[in-house]
Amino acid sequence: MSAARLDVLWSPSHINQFLTFGTEISLYKADRITHGQVVTGSKALAQGLIRLSDDTTATLLSTNTDIQYMKCVAWYPKKEPEFLLAVGQANGRVVLTSFGQDGAHDQYGLIGKEFVPRHARQCNSLAWHPNESNMLAAGLDKYRSDSSVLVWDINAKYIADSANSPDKSRIHRDSVGSGEGPSMVSKPLVELGASETALSLAWFTHESKTLLVGMNNKFLKIFDLRDVSRPVNVALTKAVYGVAIDPHVDTRIASYVEGQVSIWDTRVFEKPVLTLTEQRHIAKIAWSPTRYGLLGISCKDSPVVKLYDIQHSGVGGDDYEPAIIERSVQACGEESLSSFAWHPTHENRMMIITTKGNMTDLTVFERISLSWSPHSSITWACGKRLHHMTAHPTCTAEDDISIKMKRRARNGYGLQTDQISRNADMAPEDSDIRTLWHWLDLVRGLRDEGKIRTVGKGGFKYHGVKSVIKGETNMAGVCMKSDLHYGTLAAGVDKRTIVHTYRSEDRSRALQLCGWNFEKEFRALEDHLERLEGEGEYERAAAIALFNLKIRRAIQTLNKGATSAAHSEDAGDLNLNVVAMALSGYTDEKNTLWREMCGSLRTQLGHPYLRAMFAFLTEEAEGFQDVLNESGLFIQDRVAFACTFLPDGRLVEYLDELTCEMVKKGNLEGILLTGLTKDGIDLLENYVNSTADVQTACLAMVQACPSDVSKDTRVQQWIESYRSLLDSWRFWHQRAQFDVHRNLIDPAVKPPQQVFVSCNFCGKSVSSNMLASGRARGRPMGMRYGSPQKSKISSCPGCRKPLPRCALCLMNMGTASGTNHAAKPNKEEKQDYSKEAKQNKFGSWFTWCQTCEHGGHADHMMEWFRDHTECPVTACHCKCMSLDSVGTVTSAEETIVK
Amino acid sequence: MFVARSISAEHKDLIHDVSYDFHGRRMATCSSDQTIKVWDLTDDGEWQCTASWKTHSGSVWKVTWAHPEFGQVLASCSFDRTAAVWEEVVGESLASTQRGQSHWVKRANLVDSRTSVTDVKFGPKHMGLQLATCSADGVVRIYEAPDVMNLSQWSLQHEINTKLSCSCLSWNPSRLHLPMLAVGSDDTNPSAGGKVQIYEYNDNIRKWQKVETLMAITDAVHHISFAPNLGRSYHLLAIATKDVRIITLRCLRKEPNAGANPGGMSKFEIRQAAQFDEHSSQVWRVSWNITGTVLASSGDDGCVRLWKANYLDNWKCISVLRGDGSVTNAGGSSTGGNQLGLTNTGGNFGGSRGFKQGGSGQSSMWY
Repeated sequence: MSAARLDVLWSPSHINQFLTFGTEISLYKADRITHGQVVTGSKALAQGLIRLSDDTTATLLSTNTDIQYMKCVAWYPKKEPEFLLAVGQANGRVVLTSFGQDGAHDQYGLIGKEFVPRHARQCNSLAWHPNESNMLAAGLDKYRSDSSVLVWDINAKYIADSANSPDKSRIHRDSVGSGEGPSMVSKPLVELGASETALSLAWFTHESKTLLVGMNNKFLKIFDLRDVSRPVNVALTKAVYGVAIDPHVDTRIASYVEGQVSIWDTRVFEKPVLTLTEQRHIAKIAWSPTRYGLLGISCKDSPVVKLYDIQHSGVGGDDYEPAIIERSVQACGEESLSSFAWHPTHENRMMIITTKGNMTDLTVFERISLSWSPHSSITWACGKRLHHMTAHPTCTAEDDISIKMKRRARNGYGLQTDQISRNADMAPEDSDIRTLWHWLDLVRGLRDEGKIRTVGKGGFKYHGVKSVIKGETNMAGVCMKSDLHYGTLAAGVDKRTIVHTYRSEDRSRALQLCGWNFEKEFRALEDHLERLEGEGEYERAAAIALFNLKIRRAIQTLNKGATSAAHSEDAGDLNLNVVAMALSGYTDEKNTLWREMCGSLRTQLGHPYLRAMFAFLTEEAEGFQDVLNESGLFIQDRVAFACTFLPDGRLVEYLDELTCEMVKKGNLEGILLTGLTKDGIDLLENYVNSTADVQTACLAMVQACPSDVSKDTRVQQWIESYRSLLDSWRFWHQRAQFDVHRNLIDPAVKPPQQVFVSCNFCGKSVSSNMLASGRARGRPMGMRYGSPQKSKISSCPGCRKPLPRCALCLMNMGTASGTNHAAKPNKEEKQDYSKEAKQNKFGSWFTWCQTCEHGGHADHMMEWFRDHTECPVTACHCKCMSLDSVGTVTSAEETIVK
Repeated sequence: MFVARSISAEHKDLIHDVSYDFHGRRMATCSSDQTIKVWDLTDDGEWQCTASWKTHSGSVWKVTWAHPEFGQVLASCSFDRTAAVWEEVVGESLASTQRGQSHWVKRANLVDSRTSVTDVKFGPKHMGLQLATCSADGVVRIYEAPDVMNLSQWSLQHEINTKLSCSCLSWNPSRLHLPMLAVGSDDTNPSAGGKVQIYEYNDNIRKWQKVETLMAITDAVHHISFAPNLGRSYHLLAIATKDVRIITLRCLRKEPNAGANPGGMSKFEIRQAAQFDEHSSQVWRVSWNITGTVLASSGDDGCVRLWKANYLDNWKCISVLRGDGSVTNAGGSSTGGNQLGLTNTGGNFGGSRGFKQGGSGQSSMWY
C-alpha cells in the first residue's frame, strides 16, 4: 500500500461535502448543475469546477497540507465542531486537524491536539465512536508488549490525580501541555490488545462501547470497553482487514484478506456465513448506509465496484446459506479505482476516486421494476420509491392504438346500430377505418333496398367485389359473361372516339359496391360528382367523370376547382385550369404531339387522379396498367375502373392480384374486394397483426354475423379480446351494449337466464312474466280464479301463498315487475308493456344476500347498509354488503361523473 | 402528454415488483422488507395504501394479481422458498367498507421448492385458476385450484425441470394457442446454452413439453414477458437480458388444436424483431402495455425506455424517462422536451437498422 493511495470520505453532517486524502487533505463541495450552467471548457475551469457526473460538479473549498505521513483519516461524526478530522500518522500519532488557518473553528480548543502512543509505530485504523463522540479508537502496529488499540478521549485536558483506585486504573487522564505549542495527550482512555497488531477496527453502532478489531492476521475480536480483560467474542480467520459493521444489522460484519471477503454473523462467530471471492486483491469494502445488506467492494487495479446484495432470511438452519445478488458498477472507463465512499444519506450514491485522482459521483440505480396499467400509465419502483406516469389522451393520429381504442370505445364506436356509417366519425384520424364503415353502410343500404341479395355459400352478408364478379353471389353461381359496349369518350367534342366498356349484371352490382351505381340512375353520377366537388376533391370528381366518359363534365369540374382554389387563396391548385386546357385538347389520333406530351408530362403531375386521367387518355393498348396500378387512387375507384374497362379474364386476374396484395398488407380498403368473408378475415387478421386494432376488426366482423365467418376461431378471439379489453377499462356499459348489439345481429349467442326465483311453497316461479309464458304453454295458473280478481303482488302467483317478508319492514315482499302485463293480457301493446315494466321502482324490488339468503326491499336494504355492515336479521352476522369485493370497483362512467 | 408523480411507498427496503390488477385500479408492491403493500386508486386519482403486511421471512421477489373473476387474489413468491396465495377479506369493520384498511388472508402456502422461488404468475383466465412458479434450482411448478371458490386447495399438477436456474416466467395469454410458458434463466455461463425455454402443454399426453429453446440468448435473462395477444396471429415475447430483445413466435401449424398431429409439438417460426442495447448494460425489466404495442424496459443506466413498432414492424425508442423521476440536466435540450410524450418521434421511423444508434439521441427525456 503506497503512502499516496487516494481515499475519499463523505462528510457525516454536510450532505454535499466530501474530502479526499493521500498526501494532503482536500475538501470539496459537490453541487448539482443548475440549468444552463456551463460545466465544460475553460470557463468552468476558471471557476474551479470539476465535473463529477452528468449533473454534479465539485468545487475545491480548502486544502490541508500540514500533516505528513498520513495513514488514515476519520471525520468527526457530529455537526459541531465542523470539519474536525482525526488523522492517524505513520508514527502512530493521532492529530486533530481541520481546514483553514483561522482559529474560528477552534472554539473547542481541539484542533492541533495530538495523541501520542508510548512507542512509535504505524497507525492502521481510526474510528470515532458513533454516539459518544469524544471517544476515538486507533489501531496500531505491534510494539513488543504494548497495547495495539488505544481509545482516546479528545476532551481529556487535565491530569487525574495519581490515586489509582482499582476500578479507575484504566482511565488515565492526561494533561495538556502548558499552553504553548500543540497540546499532547499521551494517556489513552482504554488500552487493548497487548502485544498484538490491530489492522482494522470499527465500533458497533447500536451496542455502545463495543469494538470490533481485526488482529494479527489471525483473529477478529470483539471487545467490550466495560470489560477489557478479554474479548467478548473471537473468530479465528485470516480475513482481518477492513472490518465493517452493517449499519442496519449490528450482528453482520464483513472483513477481507487478499481476494476474499468474509461475511460474519456475530451470533454464530465460528465461521463466516458467506465468503465472496474476487479475482484481485481487495482495496476497500463498505456497507451501504442506506440499504440493508448491500456491500460494496473495490479491488486493486480494477475499474469496477462490485455490489453484493446479501439476502437474509429468518428461517432455515445451518444449511441455509444466504444468497447474494451481484452487480458490477463501472463508472470511470478502464481507469482503475483507488477507493470509494457511500454517501451517508443519499440512497445508493457513492463517490469514486481513481488512482489518478479522478473523482466520479455515482448513483447506482437499483433494479427498476415496472408495470403498465391498462390505462396507459406506467408505474415503476426505483429503490424504495414509486413513480407513476400518467398519459393524458391527446387527440392525435400518432397516439398509440391503446389510447385510440379507449377513446373510441368511450365515444360509442361500433355501437351505432342504426347508422353504421356514424362509426366512421368516431375514428376521424384514420381514413382507412372511415372508408371501411362507409362501405359497410353502403352495402347494408343496398341490401336493405334489395339490390343485393344474400345468397351463396356460407350466407355471407357482406360480399366483396371479387366474389360478385366471380359469380358467387348470383343464382347460377357461375361467372357471367359480359357484353361489350362501345362508348364515345368525347361526346360533344368534335373528334369521335370509341372506348370499349363491359357490362353485365354482376359488374353493375360490383360497381354499386364501389359506389359507382351510375348506370341505372341518371342523377347518381351527377350527385356523386357534386358531392365530391363539395368536399373539394375536384381532381377525383374530374377523373370519375372522365372514367364515365363525360369529358366535358370533367373539364367543368376542373374549372370549378381552379376557381374555388383562387377564391380560397389555396395556391397550387390554379394549375387545374391548365390541366383542363390540356384535357380539352384530347385527341384520339395516335402519334400526335398531344399524346406524346401528355404521356411524358403525366408523371410530373402531383395528384394521382390527374395522373390517372392522362394515363387513361393516352393508353395505347387496353391494358390500363397505369391507372390500375396507381396506388394513390382509392381502391374503390380503381376497382370500379377495372369493372368498367377490363374484359372478363383480365378483370378476374386483376381482382385476384389486388385482393392478394390487400390481404397481405392488411389494408382495410381491401374489404371492398373481399367483403366480410373468409378472405376478409385473412385481411383483418393481417390488419390486426400490424396495428393491434382488434376493436375495428371485431366490430366489423360482428356486422357479418350470423354466417360462417362468425364461427371462425379468429373472429371469436377478436370478440373475446375486445370484450375483455372493455372490461379491463371498466367500460361495462359499452361492453353490455356491444353484447346487446351482437345478440340483435346474431340471436344464437343469447345468454341464458341467470336467476330463477321460486316460491317457497309450490316451487314455481314467482315472476308473473314466467307465468305469462307458462300460460302460453297451456298451463293457465294465475287467471284461473277469474280475471277481475287480481292476484296480490305480495303473493305467489302460482299457489297464492304470501311471499317472504322484508327483513326490515316485515311486510310481505312482492314486485310489480311484469304484473301490469299480466293484469291486462288482452291489450297487445308490447311496447307499452316494456315501458311500464321499466317504470317499476327499483326500491320495491326483491333483494337478497346470496350468502345468508336474507333480504328485503331494495330501498330498505340500501338504507340499512348505509349505516350497518351486518345483516338486519337477528343473530345473522353476515356482512352482506362487503362480501362482494369485486363490486367495490366502480365503473369508468361513474368515475367520470364524479 | 405525460405527467409524472412520485408516490412515497413507505417500504423499508428495495421494491422488487409492482403489479397492477386487471382494471388498473389497484396496485401491489413487494419489497426486501418482506412486506406486500396494496394500493388503491382513490376517486381523486391518488394512490392510497390500503393494506401492508409482512408476508414472508425473506425478500419478496414478485407479486401478481389473479383475474378479478376469482376474487381479489394475490400471489407472492419469496427468497424464503415459498410462494403464497392471498385473498382479501372485507367487512372486518365498518371502516373497511369505506376503503380504509383492508385485510388479506393467506389462503395457501406453496412449500414445494427447495430454493428461492423467483417468480410466480397466474395463468390466463380461460385456463381456470392456475399458478406457475419457478425457482432458483430450475424447477417450474404448475399448481391448480380445482375449485375456484376454495383458494386454500392447490394441487401441484406439473413439475418441469429446466436444468437451469430460473429467474422469471411468463404465460402466453393467447386463447387460441395451447397453454404455453416461457421461462428465463439467470445462469451467467454462456456455454450453458439458450437461456429462454418455451414449454407447451400437450393435451394428449397431459404433460408440459419443451418446444423451443432460444439459442440466440446466452446471457443471463432477468425478465421475460409475453405481450397481450389481442387477436394477433403470432406471439410477441420481450426479453430482458444484457439488452432488450423482442421475439416473434409464429405457430407454423395453422390449426393448433386440430387433431391432425396428435401428441406432436407445435413448431414455430422464430424471428428476432428487435434488439436494443441503449441501456448499455443489464436490462432488468420489460413490460407491455395493454395492447402489446408499447414496450417499457428498465436497465442499469437507471432509465425507463419505451419502445414502439411502426407499421413495418420496425421497433424504435419513443421515450426515455429517468428512473428516479428527476429532471436531467444533460444535453441542455430539455426545455423543448416537456410537451413531448409518447408521440414525439412519430413519423420518423428510419431504416430498419438506423434506429439502433439513433434511439436515445432523437427521443427526448420524459419527465
